[in-house]
Amino acid sequence: MAEEQPKYDRGSALSIFGSDRREDFMALIFALIIAFGVYVTH
Amino acid sequence: MVYTKKSPALLIIGLIMLAMWYLADSGMMQPYLDHLAAGKKYKYLSELTSIPLYFGILAAVIGAWQLFGTHKEGNWDYYSSSIAGGMFILLIAMLVRWFVAPEVHVISVAFGKIGDTGAYIDKLLGLNYVVLGILTGIIIVNVFRIPEWAQNGVRLSRLGLKTGVILLGTLYSAAELKNLGGLSIVMIGFFVLGSVGMVLWLGARRNIPNSMGGVLSAGMGVCGVSATVAAAPVVQAKSVEIAYTIGTILLWGVGCMFVFPIIGNLLGMSHVQFGAWAGTGILNSAQVAGAALAYQPDGIETLKVAEIFNITRVLVLPIIVIWLAVWYVKREESVTQTVNVGRVIFEKFPVFVLGFILMFALSTTGIFAPANHYKGKYFNNTTDFKEKNLLSAEQKSVLTAEFDKIQRQDRKDAVSRLLENGKVMSIADDDTIRGLINAKVLSKEADGVLKKAHKAVRHTAKKIKAFRNWITWLFAFGLVGLGMQITVGAMKQAGGQPAVIGGIVGATKAILSLIVVLLLVSEKV
Repeated sequence: MAEEQPKYDRGSALSIFGSDRREDFMALIFALIIAFGVYVTH
Repeated sequence: MVYTKKSPALLIIGLIMLAMWYLADSGMMQPYLDHLAAGKKYKYLSELTSIPLYFGILAAVIGAWQLFGTHKEGNWDYYSSSIAGGMFILLIAMLVRWFVAPEVHVISVAFGKIGDTGAYIDKLLGLNYVVLGILTGIIIVNVFRIPEWAQNGVRLSRLGLKTGVILLGTLYSAAELKNLGGLSIVMIGFFVLGSVGMVLWLGARRNIPNSMGGVLSAGMGVCGVSATVAAAPVVQAKSVEIAYTIGTILLWGVGCMFVFPIIGNLLGMSHVQFGAWAGTGILNSAQVAGAALAYQPDGIETLKVAEIFNITRVLVLPIIVIWLAVWYVKREESVTQTVNVGRVIFEKFPVFVLGFILMFALSTTGIFAPANHYKGKYFNNTTDFKEKNLLSAEQKSVLTAEFDKIQRQDRKDAVSRLLENGKVMSIADDDTIRGLINAKVLSKEADGVLKKAHKAVRHTAKKIKAFRNWITWLFAFGLVGLGMQITVGAMKQAGGQPAVIGGIVGATKAILSLIVVLLLVSEKV
């Protein structure tokens, strides 16, 4: 996946997270928080 | 190792944001904002006088701590070190959205509208925050390079895109499907799935990476930019592959937009036939509308049909995302070994796709907006209709004075009902009135009254508006960061294959859909 990026000793060139699944879960948590916020405030 | 850099960069970013807020809030920036608004009201003022304040304070406080504090090795140090780069991307996204994109629009307005499309060149070329954000990112990385303190934060861009894609599910509703014609569902289903399959097949034959084939298939099959962004993480697409796909579909769309009306006129296609063809064969929503209006500048019948086909195509997106997820996992795994497909899919299936489906399902129940809507817009002239939205006596007299200019009986009837009730009475009347505005039969003043009546009954649900804002910001953030990962070397490496495959599939789809439309579509869908 490297695109002339420096090597990272944590995460990958595209993500600060150790695995795609962890990044997915973080995205899901953020999205649910935003959705809940929108639902409650609007 | 300690990741946090003792750099003043984040503190400076915070101060720039605060300065931006102050200049806007105090009115000192007003003359410049008036210039950007091009004679209208500057539409981002409320964002400009709030968002930079909150993020400016946050960045300044964390920036001061990063500069003057002591930092120890650990998780907190690692994750907090990404804040500087994240704020850097956010600052650029703000500049693109509030200043660069409006400036591009001002320049486009100076060139005037393009032919009969009724749109300015920035809209037709898709020069919105998406493309401008990627371009800005590309320029920054290739001209200045990414500073060391920002490198961790640039790797947050995919997280932003994934969060945006999950929320994208709130804009679609399966309930919309029941309002669509059977033919549009069959035709779009066939052509979308056919295009996706053809890109994947051609991609395999021409030996492009699975990730490139996957993301290009979504872009060519479904509807351009949103589909590309949604499919990209599913197939682990590289930044340069996403940029190539967006470039290919936008350029292809521009070509189609000008060629389609010429062919339509040569073949003498009916409005319904042309609308069905444009909605199937052209990839980007703005370009579909541009072609439809170019074909029928004096009415809305073509645009209406094209919109129906366009909506149908967008609604196929969840199916395509799931298909690509399964396809990619199977394909990547089967290269190395024979494995239990079910188990691999369970282990590798992207969780954020399930989030997208969850939001889509919630949206379908009507929890965020009335279920019968498209991207949050729905017709409502009964409940919540405010008294102040009724046409005033003065506005009615403007319309009455010009009533005799209207020739078509359906338009006369719709305006009569509007005059009688002070508001638009049905979706059909609303469509007819939009057609009358588009035909420019009446004066500017009278058209203004009609536009007001139209806006009074076509509501965007507040929740959907809020979701759309969030998605816009998350995509802007993600795409600026994505642009920052695209170097000239990476572009050379990707080569011209995406444009070749895009051209072959796009041309095949345009020709086949033209044949199907001419054979199957008469006047009604």
